[in-house]
Amino acid sequence: MSFIEIQCSEVLSSVIFIIEDELETVPQAAQISSHLTQCAPCTAEIEHERLMHQMLADVLRRSCNEQAPEELRQNIHRQIREQMGSYAGATEVVTQFSMTEISIEVDEFGNIEHREIQIEQTHIQHFIDDED
Amino acid sequence: MTSKDLVLESAADRTTRFERDALVFTNQLYAAALRYTKNPEDARDLVQDTYLKAFTSFHQFEEGTNLRAWLYRVLTTTFINSYRKGQRQPLIADNELEDWQVAKAQSHTSDQGKSAETVALESLPDSDIKRALQEIPEEFRMVVYLADVEGFSYKEIAEIVGAPAGTVMSRLHRGRKQLRVKLADYAKELGYSTEPSSKKGGSK
Repeated sequence: MSFIEIQCSEVLSSVIFIIEDELETVPQAAQISSHLTQCAPCTAEIEHERLMHQMLADVLRRSCNEQAPEELRQNIHRQIREQMGSYAGATEVVTQFSMTEISIEVDEFGNIEHREIQIEQTHIQHFIDDED
Repeated sequence: MTSKDLVLESAADRTTRFERDALVFTNQLYAAALRYTKNPEDARDLVQDTYLKAFTSFHQFEEGTNLRAWLYRVLTTTFINSYRKGQRQPLIADNELEDWQVAKAQSHTSDQGKSAETVALESLPDSDIKRALQEIPEEFRMVVYLADVEGFSYKEIAEIVGAPAGTVMSRLHRGRKQLRVKLADYAKELGYSTEPSSKKGGSK
């Protein structure tokens, strides 16, 4: 009988995979699934674990929702603008590379097939001038 | 062959795009930084550093991929590289890949144990929840936070913290367990429940 193929303890040690919906990554996934269809205590345990996980996630989300201080927002904004300013003063070298590949094929019936492939590339580099 | 549209973006346009798309996560990153650093001053510095790093490497970010996950990765690596060094934090043993499977004899929880745990979670104030989170080891705290508060998948977390997926799974499992034990203990101290949740019923 498949029920005894695997112990309750083995099923319960895989609880994290069951809760995370990743049971298929466990080698004994099939035995665990079949065990769960027949073992009421294990099924109850998994249900409890699911509920507890849900509750834990809920209280964590509820508790950890601090707002960033206004000062921090301003500092971030200022810092980004300063950084952008250093780009503005810098020499921006934009290298654009463009290539067109043209191929002409003549098949056995004399039909001409003409193809063009456009290849483009852009590279941006900033050279920030040192003040000192 | 498909040719990707090449848009030449000015520094000003890139800045506007960054401010529009990335700054909406300031509150979230700050809350995460508080969990990582455990104090508001370091958390502020960490978030500011994170945004500066993210901005200067924003051209490397592939548009259309997950910006939030990318920002968390910058936050986490910045924390690991710069902030953790200053903190004296005992690192957990790294033979964790499999040991969670044998870490404890698994048995079924008694009904009293189950209800006591539920009561504990329902009745504890936010300050106790945060305290419990602070008390579990950093590696556990990070993955539990990323999974349960931020809702990242364990594969995304593996990328964010730079650890294999199996390790993340193990940390998640052990972190949640430790958190639950702590919360049950607090609840017991506060008189919310009479039964310690760590007590297990008869095994099958």
